[in-house]
Amino acid sequence: MEDDYFSLNAILADNHKLSCSFTLDVEGLGYLEGGTENNIHQHSKVELPFWLAQTLSLNEFTTFPLPPPYSNRVKAALKASAQSVKLSNLVGGNGWWYRWGRRIADVLDDVPQADLLNTLLKAFVNRLPALQDLSAHHASADHTLPESSTSTGEAFRDGMEGDERELFAVGQESGKMARSWYDGSSSRKGGR
Amino acid sequence: MALPKHLQNGLTPDELTFLAEEETIDIVPLFSMTRVRLLSGIYGPFQPPSAAKVPLWLALSLKRKRKCRIVPPEWLGMERLQNLLKEERETAESFCSLPRRFIEVSKVLLDIASDDLMQPSLLRSLLKDLREVRQAKIRIGLQSEGVMRGSYLQVTNLTPLELSEMKPFLVKAMGIMQSLEPRRDEDDEDDDIGNGDGIDYGS
Repeated sequence: MEDDYFSLNAILADNHKLSCSFTLDVEGLGYLEGGTENNIHQHSKVELPFWLAQTLSLNEFTTFPLPPPYSNRVKAALKASAQSVKLSNLVGGNGWWYRWGRRIADVLDDVPQADLLNTLLKAFVNRLPALQDLSAHHASADHTLPESSTSTGEAFRDGMEGDERELFAVGQESGKMARSWYDGSSSRKGGR
Repeated sequence: MALPKHLQNGLTPDELTFLAEEETIDIVPLFSMTRVRLLSGIYGPFQPPSAAKVPLWLALSLKRKRKCRIVPPEWLGMERLQNLLKEERETAESFCSLPRRFIEVSKVLLDIASDDLMQPSLLRSLLKDLREVRQAKIRIGLQSEGVMRGSYLQVTNLTPLELSEMKPFLVKAMGIMQSLEPRRDEDDEDDDIGNGDGIDYGS
């Protein structure tokens, strides 16, 4: 999960909207609020993309509470059963829950930062076994048969966020490759 | 990178098989010939009742033309495999040490020269059992505390083929975990995060 300048995923993850409140009046930027007013007033709330909110917050023009996907309620749900939380619902269909959380953590102070990162890491670690099982299962599954989509694995699959989905695809791909090698016959390829 | 995506993660099973065919193996030729000089060395002479040592690819090629009988390596026997399987089942914590190209060599021999092996179908099922036991251990290992806390996975004695199957997933998962590690106090740490060092690829 690199923060490469050219990484499209990193750019897209920076685009999540964050609800910020301004700590001062800003003249002439009222259109950010979507209203007809010319100025942004102190304490008014604006939804800003993270890349803008980050700079503004680091310069203390805005402040923001921890957004809902990382709230205590989600934290509690993750603690109870990390695998049954649908991360994709929290950050929208194509969201990056981990990436965004990590970017937010970059802005936070030491203690809440460590807290948030720990939450993210724990969630990932607890969800990893299910993810691994699922990708191994899908690599070996016979796709000519109709799938039963009621199992817990499928429910987990619906709840995967961006990076988990990528990881799933990677695991499935390498599993498939190994399987086709085991199943294939070397005699057909002819010798050198 | 210019390589197609499925080749970027390391060697594929097919490539590993290709490499495995450089291993030498004993054959009993069914034809007579003097020494032959090849790029990889000089092989022969081939004199029917006596055995000769050749690379696996040559042995397979001769076998396809029905010009030799392959002498299976000593580890590819029923008793040996049964013992291995038993040992593998008894040591729950670690993997048994196998010859490096164990899986590849046993597969090509079973595919091409099964009539030179004793009870090939039994060997096949033993190999399959062995593979399944080891796969189960890999699966448990991936979900163990060691991976979760210390960012490492014990892969001692895994063969390159088994590693190639799990490597892409594992490397990516560990990269994500590492980038989520809480920051340490040093400021210069930030630059290193996400490089995915910390696991031993085991080559």
